[in-house]
Amino acid sequence: MSKELIEAITDMREEDAVALATKLLDSGVSPQAVLDACREAMGIIGQRFETGDCFMPELILAGEILGQISAVVKPRLQQGGESKKIGKVVLGTVQGDIHDIAKDIVGFMLDINGFEVTDLGVDVAPAKFVETVKQTGAKIVGLSGFLTLAFDPMKETVKALKDAGLADVKVMIGGGQIDENIRQYTGADAYGKDAMAAVAIAKSWA
Amino acid sequence: MFVRPENWNQMSPLERRKARLDAWQNAPVQFASPEAEANYKERIDRVRKIYDMEPHDRPVADLFMGANEYVVRRKGLVGKDIIYNHEALREPILEFHREFQPDVSVGVLPYPGKPWDILDFKTYIWGGQKLPDKLAIQAVEGEYMRADEYKDFIADPTAFWLKQYLPRAYGELGPLAMLPDFPRISESVDTIDLLVPFGLPPFQAMLHKMMEAGNELMKILGAVGQTGAMVAAEGFPSMGFNIVKTPFDYLGDTLRGTKGILMDMYRHPKDLLAACEAYVPVLIKSIVGASDRTGAPCAMYVLHKGADGFMSKEQFEKFYWPTWKQVMMALYEEGITCYLFIEGSYNQRMEYLAEMPEKSLVCHFDKSDMKRVKDLLIDKFIIAGNVPASLMATGTTDEVRAYCADLMDLFGDAPGYIMAHGCYFENTTDDKIRAFMDSVKK
Repeated sequence: MSKELIEAITDMREEDAVALATKLLDSGVSPQAVLDACREAMGIIGQRFETGDCFMPELILAGEILGQISAVVKPRLQQGGESKKIGKVVLGTVQGDIHDIAKDIVGFMLDINGFEVTDLGVDVAPAKFVETVKQTGAKIVGLSGFLTLAFDPMKETVKALKDAGLADVKVMIGGGQIDENIRQYTGADAYGKDAMAAVAIAKSWA
Repeated sequence: MFVRPENWNQMSPLERRKARLDAWQNAPVQFASPEAEANYKERIDRVRKIYDMEPHDRPVADLFMGANEYVVRRKGLVGKDIIYNHEALREPILEFHREFQPDVSVGVLPYPGKPWDILDFKTYIWGGQKLPDKLAIQAVEGEYMRADEYKDFIADPTAFWLKQYLPRAYGELGPLAMLPDFPRISESVDTIDLLVPFGLPPFQAMLHKMMEAGNELMKILGAVGQTGAMVAAEGFPSMGFNIVKTPFDYLGDTLRGTKGILMDMYRHPKDLLAACEAYVPVLIKSIVGASDRTGAPCAMYVLHKGADGFMSKEQFEKFYWPTWKQVMMALYEEGITCYLFIEGSYNQRMEYLAEMPEKSLVCHFDKSDMKRVKDLLIDKFIIAGNVPASLMATGTTDEVRAYCADLMDLFGDAPGYIMAHGCYFENTTDDKIRAFMDSVKK
């Protein structure tokens, strides 16, 4: 039945997927096994996104489905059931920019690929990134920005991290008008054109 | 204002297009000097030949989509000035035109800051209000129409905007919800239904606010209009367009939000399709009305959620393209040219654009594959773009020059090409602007 759950998720059958997950749990399948099936489904969706076979609607809807299934699974999950994370990422949309959709997709994709993501939201000041990196010990920072006004706040955030003595922290940037020109301008270590690129970059640094 | 000729009903779409372009090209201007008049005529004639895809001496370089804020920011003005201080924008704008002699006029959009404050406008934030002074505006995405309200929209899109959307988007316009449903105003005593809200204190207070906002708007339009007239008087024509969107983008950008509308393709597909369809006649009437009122020959589509990555080709074919195409075909029939400002990438959408009739479109690209654009679209439509905003903001002058030179290699001899930026930017340098402008001159 795990196969059915995976298919329901990858086919975007939202109600079926949540019902199947509940049914699996009720029939005695372990919460961890249900989460593993979800992770497998998300991996398939991620691959489809990478190959251009699925798009933003599917990523967002998959996130919604996963959220609903998690709400059913988590009360039944025993302590320590969470899988081991491969790295920590601090993520946020830079100061002055309030766009969140692309950032949320990146956060979601990083999460299902095994990263512990601290999402600071939108309009995040450089100091907040610095403070959070220090608190979490994250070695990766993801800066999102949809508008051209994000170029300078990205540059300021990269500088703030360096000035705070966090030179070993790697910074990746992404967003509507972000390209190699902007990577060089901001001093970031990498830029990604989409969420899968962000995952690949983070994995290469983890 | 565009006045239809008497034989309008006998005219073909391209004849109507010609009539609209003639009216735009020959609109009266009080020139500052004979030299300014000669320059204006030379410039607008070049743009006209590009719009007509007829032989001309060279492409034009249009700064509007990229450098519209830079023309005032380079003189130290900031976002707050752009929103609130319209008189202060005049000198920098005029100075820019005198110094740079652009092919067509360039200036900031007339953002009405004070009316927004008076009416408590909520769907944007801006410099001097909730954004730092240096920034201009940003949209605040939200769910201004709930999914269960599709039925209301489908039944009467205009009533939805008036009675449900406006009260949510403007804090002071809540009483609009008190208006009656107009189709019921028929019998003699129905006048009572119509007038009751106007007799009630909350509605009257709202009307006073609207008048106050309207008075402030007139001051702004007076200032902006004077600047525009002075720019034209000194010899610089405008490209001539009204800003519009597709049915899907109006619903997605403004009513349902990006996440909402993308989920609706799965959760409420029939409602979404029905809403797009209900919107078609309303939009056609509205866009044609705006074109007649302003005399602008083009409807500029600001395109968002149909771009590559936002949805699959199948979803584009089902949800985005059919109703958009219906509207554009109706505009074509009315002689209105659709100027498509294609944000992001449209590599997977070019074949759809190619379905449109010749000369019906100006296709302005941001990040698309321009070689493919040349192969697929160059003989049918006017092409514009795609100098990257990132290059203008952070590249060197030589890099800008090289990028523009590559575009000229591709499109310099095209039937119609407009050198333009892919997206707007806050800051660049005068040297990069000059390199951009000089690239079209042989």
